[in-house]
Amino acid sequence: MKPIQGSFIIGYVSILIKGDQPELFFQKCSRHGITIWDMKKHGPDLCEGKIKLADIKLIKKIRRGTGYKVSFVQKSGYPFLLKRFLRKRPLMIGLLLALFVIIFLSNIIWEVKITGVPKDIEEKISKQLNQYGVHPGAWIFSLQSPNEIQQQLVKDVPELLWVGVDQKGTTFYLEGVEKIIVKEIPAGEPRNLVAKKNGVIKELYVSKGIARVKVNDYVEKGDLLVSGVIGEDTVEDSTKGLVAADGLITANTWYEVSVTVPLEYYDEQVTGNNETKYYLKIGDFQLPVWGFGSPDYTDVHRETREATLRLLKWESPVKVVENVISEKTYNRRDRTKEEAIQIGIDQAKADLQLELGPEAKIMTEKILHESIEHGKVKLHLYITVEENIGDAQLLNQGD
Amino acid sequence: MSKWQQRVRTLMVNYLALPSDVILELPRITIIGQIHVYIENHLGLVTYSDTELKLKMKQGFVQITGTSFVIKMMLPQEILLEGSIKDVRFLPANKQ
Repeated sequence: MKPIQGSFIIGYVSILIKGDQPELFFQKCSRHGITIWDMKKHGPDLCEGKIKLADIKLIKKIRRGTGYKVSFVQKSGYPFLLKRFLRKRPLMIGLLLALFVIIFLSNIIWEVKITGVPKDIEEKISKQLNQYGVHPGAWIFSLQSPNEIQQQLVKDVPELLWVGVDQKGTTFYLEGVEKIIVKEIPAGEPRNLVAKKNGVIKELYVSKGIARVKVNDYVEKGDLLVSGVIGEDTVEDSTKGLVAADGLITANTWYEVSVTVPLEYYDEQVTGNNETKYYLKIGDFQLPVWGFGSPDYTDVHRETREATLRLLKWESPVKVVENVISEKTYNRRDRTKEEAIQIGIDQAKADLQLELGPEAKIMTEKILHESIEHGKVKLHLYITVEENIGDAQLLNQGD
Repeated sequence: MSKWQQRVRTLMVNYLALPSDVILELPRITIIGQIHVYIENHLGLVTYSDTELKLKMKQGFVQITGTSFVIKMMLPQEILLEGSIKDVRFLPANKQ
């Protein structure tokens, strides 16, 4: 039966032969190499048999000149099915439309799920996400990668310690971990407060313990500020008590900083001319889809973004790559001495603030010395700061 | 001449154990019960109807009779016949 296997796929027809001794027509066909099957004789001058679709041309050629009448009774097989199917226009349009809609919908965010954080932070996150364009109904491939969103989110929502952004199909899962500000363990251990650095006391606020210094006192590093020993301490067995000294000791401190600012510098600037190219990327192969030829910019800045096209929950191997080529120019710029000095001061302040933390207040700055050497302004600055200089020191240290 | 050839062929079949259907150009007929007849190496169909199938062979014809015959498959040299078979007969060439 091998010769007729697979005839459904290539298609076959049933032909009816009318004429004198119709079986002899089939005999003729068979001699030409045509396979015939399910041959049946319906009457003395009627014979039906099945042949492959591809053999029809040959049958027509053989029939020529003979007195037989050939009629096609039944067409079956895949090619006919396909033909019949293709003829149904509305069905085809509907099918294409459905496919298009499926692809369209599976490239849209349907849901953003935030877990692991309280309601108020959740709201903050979703507001922030809205700003990035991550919200139900947004195109998936117009978004940044989950990694970038993750980094940005941690930066923009200070309450977040960590956030995991995971994209599963059309859903964004965000798992946040809230920053728990760990307060210093309220040590029941008796302790003193000593000076962290040299300074002049500006303000004293002692909640526990006895202040050993006054406002406007000059203290040096390691000096006792608030004592945790209360009561008489001259006699051994008296009303002497030990507490954990606590308080806020604000002092004026000072720093000498030197900075160097060049008078001449370079920067890059995007001119605003750009061209966008789109590629379809399959594996390592990139097929340009839109934007051909390369622009004649001397210096270019490239930005590439990739988005995976997805079908339902599967990622297709096709990626849409957007390549923005922007023209840029290098500029050589000059600063006046005054500008350089101002920049130097700002920079020094910012550096110092970063080093001391947000609670320190920078009060004044003074230029002790300035000089210009090799096109650079060298500054020697004197900066006064108001900050908490209290530092806990356990009383029973060394015991 | 043809007689001499025939003799050589018969000898080859007998002594060299070559398949007789190929050497002697005779049809190989395989019958499965009374429902299938499979004929290879025939020289063409002569008559076919519901009740009869006649095939040409080198000398004479093969005639198969029965009822409700359907040719399940027909290739240039092979025929598979289905139906209920009554008898298979070999007819000499002159008595058609």
